Amino acid sequence: MIRRAAVWAAALVALAFLALPIVAIFARLSLTRLSTSVVSDALVVSLKTTFAAQALVLAFGTPAAYVLATHRFRGRSLVVTLVELPIVLPPAVAGIGLLAAFGRVGLLHTRLPFTQAAVIVAVAFVSGPLYARQAIAAFEGVDETMVAASRTLGASRAKTFFRVVLPLAGGGLGAGEALAFARGMGEFGATIMFAGSLQGVTQTLPLAVYQEFDVDFHTALALGALLVGVSAGLLITVKWLASSSTSALRFAASSSV
Amino acid sequence: MISSAVLTILAAASLTNVFPQVAPKDRFSFGGSNMLAAQIQQAAPADVFASANTKLPEQLYEQGLVEKPVVFTRNELILIVPKKNPADIHSVYDLRKPGVKLVVGAVGVPVGDYTRVVLHNLGLDDVLNSVVSQETDVREVLAKVALGEADAGFVYTTDARTVRGKVATIGIRWSAQPIVEYAVAVVKSSHHLAASRAFVKSLLGRTAQAKLRAAGFLPVR
Repeated sequence: MIRRAAVWAAALVALAFLALPIVAIFARLSLTRLSTSVVSDALVVSLKTTFAAQALVLAFGTPAAYVLATHRFRGRSLVVTLVELPIVLPPAVAGIGLLAAFGRVGLLHTRLPFTQAAVIVAVAFVSGPLYARQAIAAFEGVDETMVAASRTLGASRAKTFFRVVLPLAGGGLGAGEALAFARGMGEFGATIMFAGSLQGVTQTLPLAVYQEFDVDFHTALALGALLVGVSAGLLITVKWLASSSTSALRFAASSSV
Repeated sequence: MISSAVLTILAAASLTNVFPQVAPKDRFSFGGSNMLAAQIQQAAPADVFASANTKLPEQLYEQGLVEKPVVFTRNELILIVPKKNPADIHSVYDLRKPGVKLVVGAVGVPVGDYTRVVLHNLGLDDVLNSVVSQETDVREVLAKVALGEADAGFVYTTDARTVRGKVATIGIRWSAQPIVEYAVAVVKSSHHLAASRAFVKSLLGRTAQAKLRAAGFLPVR
């Protein structure tokens, strides 16, 4: 009995600890601050760059994950580790790395720094690996006999991938993308180092929070509330899409094979 | 007792190199003065606040958070370009060239406010359209120019001296210079009030002033 009470107490402490900062943001929120141009500009920049980055993550990360999940070759574990490495890198290190690689005086001498494209690159770099890692696991979990059956029954490789593999891996892909999305929305360190901070161009919501903390704490709170709202909304949407599409596609897959 | 207290000093980023020489045993948190002021407003544990302007400590003084601020040194602004000078800038008026990547401090950050005064005094307000990034303290401006990512940036003359060999400097005429005065104040919630007051007093003393001058800071008028 006592032990059960202790478990509940610990659980309550953990929940309260996690919820309190969120509650505090909303408790002290002044809605009028949401209408300033700093806030609306940052929201637009954040949404644009996050969606663009996630499109790139899906377009390049999905094939990369599929190849890594279905092929065994020498040095594969090294490659997988390399893919996962940005997850554990401090964002500041990511920023330095991006500058060293894509800076004007970096290895590739690009003109990326200080552009909106630089924000997209930074977000893709830090959030992509979260998706890729989950996607590799999802593709690896696909039952090979299903794939073999599809091929035996005359479906092409492409058809098999889109009608069998993708639906079966869908749940894992969706979950990975939800994580990547959330991480991308919150990206701060690599962005401020690689892309700088300019209202309406490169200043995302987290960067605006940082700047407004010095200028006007209540605007920072409003930005924080917005970020909580947008992130939570996107997370719930992506999760819901992933779960519903998975079941729908599973049904489609089972009926078409 | 007093001499054994290790003070926590929140100081403007431009004091990063010189303050540890002035007070080797104390702990420092360097950053944009406005960020440090915001931290004091949020009750950060600190003993002394040294700002790159007088406005912020005066505001905190009016709010009852610090004791009366004292001006202890001065500085000037300068334009820096990377040593290779990719945008071929040789005078402040070259900032008008199309496509120049100019980096400045954000509004509210002391160096950002001073930069806007300089540009206004020079009749170069339009140059603000060339700004590609607004930084939260002067050392961020310095880093982005010294690294060669930005074409030009406004910093204090004392900052430029810390990256000699990486940047070239372009002076700003005396009549366009803003008044850059640094003020220091004891934080009222400090647990080491006596030691903090002694530190503020020592900043005005001969030893500290000599070290500030050696770093390129200007004596109080």
